[in-house]
This record gives sequence, C-alpha cells and structure tokens, in this order.
Amino acid sequence: MAGTPLQSDKSTSTSVILNPLPPSSPSTPPPGWYWSLPYAAMALFIATMAALLWLTYRQDTEEQRATLINDVLWMEQNLSFQFDRNSSQLSQLGPALLSGRTLDSTTAARLKNALDADTGLIRILWLNQDGAVLGAGPPYTDSHLVGEAAGTFPSSSAYRLARSMGRPVYSDAYAVIDNQTQFEAHIPVFDGGRYLGSVVGVYSLNSLLSRQVPWWFSERYRVAVTNTAGTEVAAKSKVSPLSSLNYEMALEPPGHGLTLSITAYKNEVRWIPLLLMGSLGVLATAIVWSLWQLRRHMQRRQAAEQALRAEHAFRKAMEDSLNTGMRARDLKGRITYVNPAFCRMVGWSAEELVGRHPPMPYWAPESLEQTLAVHEMVLKGNAPVQGIEVRLMRRNGERFDALMIEAPLIDSDGKHIGWMGSMVDVTEQNKAQELARQQQERLQATARLVTMGEMASTLAHELNQPLAAISSYNTGCINLIEQGQLPRQELLGILAKIGKQAQRAGQIIRRVHAFVRRSEPKFEPVDLNTILREAVGLVEADAQRQGVSIGLDLASPLPPVAADPVMIEQVAVNLIRNGMDAMANTPRAERQVSLRTRHQDGMLVFSVADRGRGIPPEVAGKLFAPFFTTKEEGMGMGLNICRSIAELHRGRLSFEAHPAGGTIFNFSLPIAP
Amino acid sequence: MSAPLAYIVDDDEAIRDALTWLFRTRNVSSRAWASAEAFLTDWQAEWRGCVVLDIRMHEMSGLECFDALLARGNLLPVIFLTGHGDVPMAVGALKKGAFDFLEKPFDDNALVDVVLRALDNDARRHASEETQACVTSRLAQLTPREQEVMNLVLAGKFNKVIADALNISMRTVEVHRARVFEKMGVRSAVELAQLLAPGRD
Repeated sequence: MAGTPLQSDKSTSTSVILNPLPPSSPSTPPPGWYWSLPYAAMALFIATMAALLWLTYRQDTEEQRATLINDVLWMEQNLSFQFDRNSSQLSQLGPALLSGRTLDSTTAARLKNALDADTGLIRILWLNQDGAVLGAGPPYTDSHLVGEAAGTFPSSSAYRLARSMGRPVYSDAYAVIDNQTQFEAHIPVFDGGRYLGSVVGVYSLNSLLSRQVPWWFSERYRVAVTNTAGTEVAAKSKVSPLSSLNYEMALEPPGHGLTLSITAYKNEVRWIPLLLMGSLGVLATAIVWSLWQLRRHMQRRQAAEQALRAEHAFRKAMEDSLNTGMRARDLKGRITYVNPAFCRMVGWSAEELVGRHPPMPYWAPESLEQTLAVHEMVLKGNAPVQGIEVRLMRRNGERFDALMIEAPLIDSDGKHIGWMGSMVDVTEQNKAQELARQQQERLQATARLVTMGEMASTLAHELNQPLAAISSYNTGCINLIEQGQLPRQELLGILAKIGKQAQRAGQIIRRVHAFVRRSEPKFEPVDLNTILREAVGLVEADAQRQGVSIGLDLASPLPPVAADPVMIEQVAVNLIRNGMDAMANTPRAERQVSLRTRHQDGMLVFSVADRGRGIPPEVAGKLFAPFFTTKEEGMGMGLNICRSIAELHRGRLSFEAHPAGGTIFNFSLPIAP
Repeated sequence: MSAPLAYIVDDDEAIRDALTWLFRTRNVSSRAWASAEAFLTDWQAEWRGCVVLDIRMHEMSGLECFDALLARGNLLPVIFLTGHGDVPMAVGALKKGAFDFLEKPFDDNALVDVVLRALDNDARRHASEETQACVTSRLAQLTPREQEVMNLVLAGKFNKVIADALNISMRTVEVHRARVFEKMGVRSAVELAQLLAPGRD
C-alpha cells in the first residue's frame, strides 16, 4: 500500500477555503458625510421633481390660458363677423324698406331671413329721415321696455350719431323685461348721397349669447356679459364655474361699457403628468424607505462584520499562541491549512505547504513508507483516537517525533470535507523518557557493579584467609627446617592444619560455583531466526533513535539447534548493541547493522556486521577479557558473557574485520545431533 | 614491666594460629586476640612490643581500633595487614603514625622482619625514655645558682665571662661547675651537652 500513488486527482478536488476573511484587513470606517450623501441626492431629486412638476403645471396653465385666449379671440371674431354680416344685410334691406312701398314678397322673405334666430336680431325697425319709425318687423310695443329705457326706443342718440357719421352705430345696452338686455344697431341708408333713413336692428344680448356661442364653447366656458357696474347682464349658463381661469374683454363693437367675461368651467385634468408625479412620489418614498432599510441592513452587516473580525482576530491570536501544530487536509490528502505553530515546527512556511500533496517535504526520508502508511490510515478514518507517533523532519534536516491526533473536518453543511490534525512535538518528552530510562539502566548497572564488586571483594577476602594461613604455616615450617629443627610431632600438626585450610579454600570455591550454577542454561530445540527477530524487536527502538537501520538476511529454513533461547537472544542483543555503539561517529546514512544466518559445516552461524570504526589490533587481544571495555559506561562484561554463553553451547564467538569497514562478529552453534 | 610481644589482632582463627606459629619459628613471642574490642579491653599503656592489626574484621575494623589506640596515647608500633583494595585506607593510617602495612598475600618472613624492626624500634624508644627520666632526676638535684652556671656553660661561655655575668668570683664559678658535672654524672662540658641534647630519635 506504500506504493499507491496519491496524487491521482486532477484538479477535481474541491478546494476548501478555510480562511474566508482577509487577515485583519485595515477597514476604515466610512467618513461622516458618507451616509448624508444619498440623503442629499434624495433631497435634490425631490426638489428637481417638484420643480419639474411646478414647471409642468405652469406650462399646463399657460397652455390652458392660451387655449382660452384663442377660443375667446375666435368667439370675438365670430361675433364681429356676425355683426358685420347683419349690418350689411340690414343696409341691403334699407332701400326696399325705406321706399315707402308695401313690402314685396322678396323683401319680406329677406326680412324674415334677417330675423332668423341665428343672427341674434330679434326685431328690425326702419326710420325715416326724421327718425320716425316707419315700420317694424315684427311689430312692437313699448310694453317690454323697463326703467329709464322706457321712451327712448329706439335710441335717438344712436340714430343721430349714425345719421351724422354715415356708418353703423351701436346704441347702449338697456334692460328690458324678462331680465333681458337689448341693444340696437343703427345703420344709415343712403341713396346716392341722399340720406333715406336708418334701419335699426335690435339685438337681444341673451339671445345673441345663446345663439352665437357654439355648444363646444359653452361646454368649456361660461360666457357672461357684465355692464360697467360689474353686474352680470347676460349669461349663457347660470352655473357658476369652479375654475379661476377667466378672461375679460370689451364687447365690441356694441361696446359702451359691456364686458365679455369668459370663464373656464374647470381646469383640464392632465392625468399623465399627474400619474407621473404620483408614481414619482411613490417611487421616491420607496427609494427613501429602501435606502433607510439598506442603511439599517448595512449597519447590521457592519456590526456583524465587526463582530466577525473581532472573533477572527481572537481566533487568530488563539491559533498563533498555540504551541500545538494544526494542519487540515482534504479528503485526498492535500494540505488546505497549517497554523504558525505547525510552520515553526517543520520549518516550511504556510504558502509552501498549502496545496501540497503527499509525500510532504517534512516527512523523514528514512521512514517515508511508515509515514505514508499512517497517512493512508488517517485518510481511511482509522486513525487511533489517542493519536499516533510519527517521525518527521524539519527543514534543516533535524528529525523530531510528533504525536498526531486526527479528527474529521466537517463543513457548515455537515459534509465531511477532510481531516484536521493537531501535532505535538514529543521529541523532548521522548528524550526525557529515554534519558530517564538510561539513567535507570545506568543505576541498575551501577548497582550490579557494586554488588559484583562487593561479591568479588568478599570472595577475595574469604579466599585470602585460608591461603594466608597456609602460607604462614608453610613459611613457619620452612623456617624450622632451615634452622635444622625437626620437631616431627609439631610439624605433623601444622601440616594437618595446612590441609584443613586448603579444604576451607576449596569449600569457598564450591560455594561460588554453586552460586553461579543457578544461571545454568536450559537447552531446548530453537529456531535461530525466530530468536534473532525477537532480538531485533528488542533493540529496534534504540536503533531508530540512533538512526541505525537493521538489515536482516536470514537463511530459511534452518535446522533447530539445542540452545537456551534467552541466552542466545542475550548474545544477539549484545552484539547488535555493540555494533550500534561502534557506529556513533559513522555518517547517519551509513549506519547499518546487518544480521545474517547461515548453515555452515554442521554449525549454524549468525553474524552481526557493523560499519563502525573497527577494532584496533591492540584492543583485539583483550576484547573478551572481563572488565575490559572501550565504552565510557561499559562494564566490560558483555563480550565476556557472550563468549561464556557460546562456550556453554559448545559454540564459538569470533570476530573479523568488515571488508567495507567495521567489524563482523560470528556466533556459531553446533546443530543438535 | 612486661616482656616485648607481638600483639596479633585478627578475627580469623586460622590466621591467628598460623601467625603465632610463624612468629615462634623466628623466636618472636606473640599473643593473639580474636577481635579489636577484646584487645582494647586488655590493652595496657606499659605494654611493649608491636601490634599486628588486620584491617578487615567483622566487628570493629582495624582502622577504628588504631584510632582508639591513638586516643589512648598508645606508643606501640602498629603494623596493618590489608586485603585487596584496602591500600588507600592503609596509607591514611600510615600518615596518622602507623608503623607499616603489608598487603595480603604477603611474604611471611617479610612480615616477621617488619615485626622484628618494630620490636627493636619500641625497645630503643623505651631506652631513650629511661635516659630522659634519669637526666630529669639529676637536673632536679641542681641548685638555682648551679643551673644558671650550667646554662652559661652549655652556651659555651668561659669561666671568666660567667663570673662577670653572675657577679661572682671565678673561683666560685669553678666550684659550681665542678658540682654540676658531679651531679649530672659527666666529665666534660661536651658530655653534658650530649646528655641534654633534645630530640633523640
């Protein structure tokens, strides 16, 4: 599984952005005028709209007024045209009427035609040169005359004026009964410069208005005539208009203080601008409201952002202060996030690490396969809860042990998107433990040494006593014999004592031997390869710490040998340890202890080869001697014991120089018969 | 006064017996104790001879025993017998005034030789002690004037000078001088000086 390619994804992996906020972006708060700007714009907009409205209104009014004036001018034109037509008709009728003859049918028809309601004339009089009424059609009485007007019909002043001026003259208006107002038009009739008389057309103002003002005009305007006193003398309608839009003009040619007042009934309601205005107003309100809502939203958002930034800063500070390295990976094993502690630990920066695929730069090359296996295990979700220890490498090549604890990374949707791992550098801790262990070992070794020293000392003293006694007896005997004395009986006693002391010494030695016998080997058929594997298992941790790799080259199958497995294992461990210690100054890459087993000449041989400094010739001779050591803390018993064990097994322990540098120890065991 | 002996202190019976036998073959009388405590109990200031002390013993060690003897003002020479590894201790003891030490296993006759030297040493010390006691008793017989005269004689002054210094006649000086020589048992100023010379070894 170590060889599985992990870089299989082709940009299909979902990128996980774990750091959505820019790292502490310096967001300056908007200046004071920031929020007044839209309000100012709003006010400006509303003012502009109001001005536009007002202008539209003004234009509208102007337009209405122009229409009114137009209509009034048309009306005036119409009236004066009608007066002119009537005047010319009457002046044409004049000669026939003033001829004094009975009216012929043609004249009567024309008279009747002239009195048509449309003309506004209600009566036609014809007067002679003296102003006397010659005739009238229709005939008339004074009965309809009221007030001061009585007796002045037809108007003599107008008659005279017309006669003297020789052109049509209009009289003052005067009231008649039925609330009517009349005026007259005096048209002088001449025949070749001779004044024949006058034809007088009587107009009823009321009738004139009702007839001469067309329907469409009266529909829009109220047409009234007022006299000099401001009193309304005639009107087209009694309904008073609502609008203030009115226009007044002198009623010409009748004139004489009559004023034609034309008032619009109502302003024309222009719906489009109104709708426009209304909708504009509504829209403006909506805009203001939405702006206000927007502002509230913005404020809330800003507050939220502020809180988020504060939270982010808090988290960041927390994360930066952490001494625990944090590292997130996606489901494919790509690094998506590392915290500063992690960067400090491995020595690579976050930019260099994020996005990397395994193998990571901080994986130690010598334990690459193991690390990869751990990596795979984590990705499969099988990481142990209590964490797993891996050997990693800093950028400067320094190795360190890290305890990694992995947890699944779940996003806000509850989707599993990767793994978050925390990493603690346990190198120091391991070192401390190792140190404690070593100290313990040293203490035990010292204790053993002290015990052994004491034992040796006691043994020496014990043995010395009988030997010294023997020596003294012996010297005494020699002294006597030299002096020529031979006290037979005494010498016999002394010699017996000497024998007794010799026996005593023998007993002491037997006691020591009995003590040693307690650790006699227990022979049983064993598989050498199995023992060696167990031995390697015992020293593996040490080997890793010292950066030594242990190579195994085991011949298989091997015949069983009769041996004490514990002792053989002890020899193997001893030899491997010696090999590792010998390579303390060897470059890390070359530190290798090779174990090899082979079947050779009826013996099983296992050899332990190191690549250390080798054994100098002056040391070689003393190598197996007890208490000889080249190590600072050694007891000098290791190889001695090894050789004793070899001898116990009727085997051999020897060494030779490694052809490539270093030493090879060979341990041979006879195969069981 | 007891006869000079080799006092053997060793907790091993065989050693005691062997050493006693060995010493006898060289005509050295000895007496043995099985422990330092027993030896200290029996110890007398006027004993003469030497002590052969084993350093390693079960109860009180040889060194402790030596210290106890020093405290009691023992003057006997002490010879230590040491085992393997006890040499530094023995050297320390030598500095404190022990006579010698021998490391086991030793040449037995060499031990006897050392013992003999120690015995001789002790005997000479005793002789010197006796001379000293004699001189002291003779000095006690001198009158104050005779002592003054003797001091001036020892300083090498002539009779005439002595007479001037003590304001007496030369004749009187000669009388005093003759008395001093007589009382001190010497015949000349040289013998007197030798008798009173301090620091005999």
